Amino acid sequence: MQRTTHFRTGAILFLLPALLLFAAYFIYPVGYVVVVSLMKWDGMSSPGFVGLRNYSALFHDEVFRISIRNNLIWACAEALIQVPLAIVVALLLARKPKGWKLLRTIYFFPHVISGIAITMMWGAIYNNERGLLNGFLRLVGLSGWEHNWLGGLGSAFPSVLVYGLLYIGYFMVIILADISSVSRSYYEAASIDGATRTQQDWHITLPLIKGTIATCVTLAMVNGLRQFEQVLLLTGGGPANSSSVLVLYLYKELQNFHYGTANALGTVLIVLGGLVILTVRRLFNAAKYDM
Amino acid sequence: MKINALLEKLLSRTILSLFLVYTLFPMLWLVMASLKTNVELLGDPFRLPAPPQFGNYVNAFKSAHLALLFSNSVVISFSATALNALVASMAAYVLSRYKFKFGSVIFSTLITGILVPVSALMVPYFTLIRTLGLYDTKLALILTYTAISLPLSVFIIKGFMDSIPGELEEAALLDGCDFYQKFFRVIVPISRTGIVTAATFQFLSSWNEFLYAMLLTSSEQVRTLQMGIRFFASQFTTDFTSMFAAIVISIIPSVAMYSLFQNQIISGLTQGSIKG
Repeated sequence: MQRTTHFRTGAILFLLPALLLFAAYFIYPVGYVVVVSLMKWDGMSSPGFVGLRNYSALFHDEVFRISIRNNLIWACAEALIQVPLAIVVALLLARKPKGWKLLRTIYFFPHVISGIAITMMWGAIYNNERGLLNGFLRLVGLSGWEHNWLGGLGSAFPSVLVYGLLYIGYFMVIILADISSVSRSYYEAASIDGATRTQQDWHITLPLIKGTIATCVTLAMVNGLRQFEQVLLLTGGGPANSSSVLVLYLYKELQNFHYGTANALGTVLIVLGGLVILTVRRLFNAAKYDM
Repeated sequence: MKINALLEKLLSRTILSLFLVYTLFPMLWLVMASLKTNVELLGDPFRLPAPPQFGNYVNAFKSAHLALLFSNSVVISFSATALNALVASMAAYVLSRYKFKFGSVIFSTLITGILVPVSALMVPYFTLIRTLGLYDTKLALILTYTAISLPLSVFIIKGFMDSIPGELEEAALLDGCDFYQKFFRVIVPISRTGIVTAATFQFLSSWNEFLYAMLLTSSEQVRTLQMGIRFFASQFTTDFTSMFAAIVISIIPSVAMYSLFQNQIISGLTQGSIKG
């Protein structure tokens, strides 16, 4: 009996720090964001309740519309371009070509390095006068294609968006791991029936890794909603807000002490994240998928 | 048939090589650029540096105060990693080894945190840190980083602890281990792999974090490396080569950590810990 109480005290003591941190950094903040989003508040004077006015103001706001459109494009591009590319490369590496382990290591590299470093690197590549990209175009005689990549109204957002989509290492590793856990016997049976590798990939591997693909799609889309650093550093949201995203807009509103609008933006982000998770779950309808 | 197979092989090689070049080329170019003079860099961006200008690195260290930034980042990242590993394994231990009424509810609530877009919580974090009087301190970042990755760490570590057979614990109990001894002497050593996996992820994300480093600190005394190179870039827009040198220096610890714990990271992603 004494032993049980002793263990109960221990258990409570051990759980407490995690629960306190979780309450302070997840539960309380989510409630805070929702409540303050219904107020007009500059952080100093007393807040006034305004109902849904912050939201209706947002929906009439052009920067918000551009930001949400950009975020949705980003989320879909990650799901429809990045994840499929990761699947293709994972399927190729699963055939264990020479040096596949080294390739797996190198492809993961961009996910180890900070977003700041990578983004500044790409800033140097896109740079209008001294940039690598324009330099390359001149070199191969395509000077007509030279462009002010980050300064052009039409090209700023695509330029900020596109380079990260081709860093596929993270999803590739997750998918590759799942492929290697598929039982060999399926493939043996299929090759006896005369199925080629490509047919096997299509009819055996892909259906079996559906759950992992769903997870990757979820992570990819949520990631598309969280984007911030790339935009802040490369264009600051410009020109004319054409490359703005929600988190950047939230940050700017916070700096302007528009706490109500900032938190309305936060709520929109949280809701969008929740919708993504529900939608992907519904679409894939995979029993194995449980996150 | 044979030609088909050959074509397939060729296509596969091409795709794999394209991704290899795409991943490596910008980094190699960055290292190369960091060894050039500014004149060389502006002249022909593709030519090799002749001779290599290691002075850029010295410059970066001096003018960007890299030593200070570096030590700030080390203190913050290592403290957040240690604290996160301790708090997460304590919670994972209770949630994994003890069955009690709200255990599974607590666990599933905790891990929903993995998918919460924490950048949406900027305002509450900012006010929380200000209210605690921690604005512009290293502790603000240590606490924040520890808390933000807690759900993921608990998830990873609990996964490993779940696989420990119950007999081991019974043996420990018979030997007279109490709650704490059992944790420190039996469970932690066995779950080492899981804890190290979580800690590696935690270190990399703390080292590379930018948004909250920008939001919760302002003075140079507590500035992290990521913030520092960003500042450096906006202050010294003409000295590109030193900026590149500073970026290369900022990358080294993450690359070193990755090389050291590469298998941990891959197996951490592999064993379903991230997959859910």
